[in-house]
Amino acid sequence: MAQLLEQFINGLVLGGIYALIAVGYTMVYGIIQLINFAHGEIFMFGAYLALMLIAVFNIPFWIAVPASMLLCAMLGMLIDLVAYRPLRDAPRLSALITAIGISLVLQNLARMIWSARPRQFPTETLPAFLVSEVNIQTGEILNAIPLPGGGILPYRDVCILLLAVVLMIALNRLIHLTKIGKAMRACAQNRVASNLMGIKTNQVIAVTFAIGSALGAVAGIMVGLSENITPTMGYYKGVAAFAAAVLGGIGNITGAMLGGIIIGLAEVLGAGYISSGYRLAIAYIIMIAVIVIRPSGLFGKSTANRA
Amino acid sequence: MKDKLTPKNIIFGLVVCFLPLLMFGIDGIVAFLSQYGIYLGWPGGEYMLRIIVRASVYMMLAVGLNIVCGFTGLLDLGYVCFYLIGGYTAGILMARLGVSYWVALPLAVLHGTVWGLLRGAPTLRLTGDYFAIVTFGFAELFFRIIRNEQWLVGAPNGQLRGIPSPTLFGITFNQNWHNYYHILILLTLVVFITYRLQHSRVGRAWVAIREDEQAAESMGINVSRYKSLAFAVSAAIGALGGAFIAQFQVSISVPFFDFWESILILCMVVLGGMGSIRGAMIGAAILGCLGEVLRPGFIIPYQFGNARYLIFGIILILLMRFRPGGLSLKKA
Repeated sequence: MAQLLEQFINGLVLGGIYALIAVGYTMVYGIIQLINFAHGEIFMFGAYLALMLIAVFNIPFWIAVPASMLLCAMLGMLIDLVAYRPLRDAPRLSALITAIGISLVLQNLARMIWSARPRQFPTETLPAFLVSEVNIQTGEILNAIPLPGGGILPYRDVCILLLAVVLMIALNRLIHLTKIGKAMRACAQNRVASNLMGIKTNQVIAVTFAIGSALGAVAGIMVGLSENITPTMGYYKGVAAFAAAVLGGIGNITGAMLGGIIIGLAEVLGAGYISSGYRLAIAYIIMIAVIVIRPSGLFGKSTANRA
Repeated sequence: MKDKLTPKNIIFGLVVCFLPLLMFGIDGIVAFLSQYGIYLGWPGGEYMLRIIVRASVYMMLAVGLNIVCGFTGLLDLGYVCFYLIGGYTAGILMARLGVSYWVALPLAVLHGTVWGLLRGAPTLRLTGDYFAIVTFGFAELFFRIIRNEQWLVGAPNGQLRGIPSPTLFGITFNQNWHNYYHILILLTLVVFITYRLQHSRVGRAWVAIREDEQAAESMGINVSRYKSLAFAVSAAIGALGGAFIAQFQVSISVPFFDFWESILILCMVVLGGMGSIRGAMIGAAILGCLGEVLRPGFIIPYQFGNARYLIFGIILILLMRFRPGGLSLKKA
């Protein structure tokens, strides 16, 4: 039972991270109907850029995080400008293949710059409360909440979950209360009509990419706090997050958040109780099942074939 | 594919037929010159022959993928799973059960076809992005099954070793030039069948589905049936390539069949121009050879690792931007 509680919390934390990435997929899909394969790579770049800012340029953690978000937002906008914008009116498959190409380029670029060696944030550079440990001799628990049954809940995980929730709420408010949010919703409904109404659609799309990429960068740093940072992390986590976006109904932001939590829980619980070798396979199976049985996702409007 | 005996075609045919001799000739020249202390830095003929065999397998796969991607216009991101199914079916049958290659090959193709149909059945109604995602997920599942189920392969990480070479009339086909003619025959067969299909009622139905599925259906084309046929033929060709590569490589393992391999084959089809058999083959020949040349340690330093994928990515992006119809002269 204690193990179940701990697994459940781990699943929630992972789910929060997935939700942050999934939002990036779903926002872009909602507006330009493109599966932005490169989003997973932007997420990976977020982790690497923060790591580089901290380890190479000795910038404090608190500044490195927003700096990495900013850099990733610029990267996302750059990709949109260079690769996707010229293909706005091309066949959908062209844009999808371009997205795969970008993904290949970014992933291998990361491998060339930072090598395939797994890296972590150096412990001494992180704020103290993010590093939790249990002193084996005294049994003293540092920076973590003891759970009933012997497990611990590190402050780090609490922070990740809280930050994910705060960012989600902020995004939700942004989309529903601000002018740019309104423009984004308008573009998602009908891009041509919004253009005719005087909305600068290209700018709106660029902002969408920027927001999605910045959230992806945060998620990358969150993953980097507890796991290794590798050039392939964007691919593996990206696909799981994409599964979350599909599960929630692609194009639906609230759905992506809930889908992220569900995929995170399913992955952690599945790895714990079924087989750890099939950890990612669970996300794939959910994704295939959702697409085949209910393509509009759990929370999407059951519109006709979107693709 | 205009069946004309122009001098160009005859020369091309002769080169294809006697390529191993040419390679032995290169080996001879290199050996001869090295006696006099002259080293040209050419790779050996045997090595080049191996690259050509490998590129031929890619040609076969590209032709197979072109059926789904080019003719019916559905983006298949998991084509490598049929390659994997063919490779492991043939490999396990031969290495672990001692089945002859000549039995294992058709069984592998059959197995691949079955999975092509099984994968096709739930995806018949899907188009575009959703089809691509399901095919991708499907391939990843197979990848993981082979990696995790040790009882199937007998070793972790899908390491299957000691796949025997095929034998016929007491001759073991394990030389590179054996494999060259072997793949040449298979490739010719595949291209012939695909070509005949393309220029038949079936091929026209596929293109009609690509252009407008609803219109095709209303013209009386049984869309489900023709799509299933495309999936089956495409999967069979992939499995055939897998079965061949299993005996050619002697040992296979899972990383050989990862997602990026699918993308590489897709890249070949796109480079040559989707929907053209000749284009797919030319694309595969270019990228297949380029891929070998760009392997780490040859031109690109080791520390850069798989920089070739970086180049493939750039090729994809540039093609989509400037020449969506591929290298072929036709504009898409």
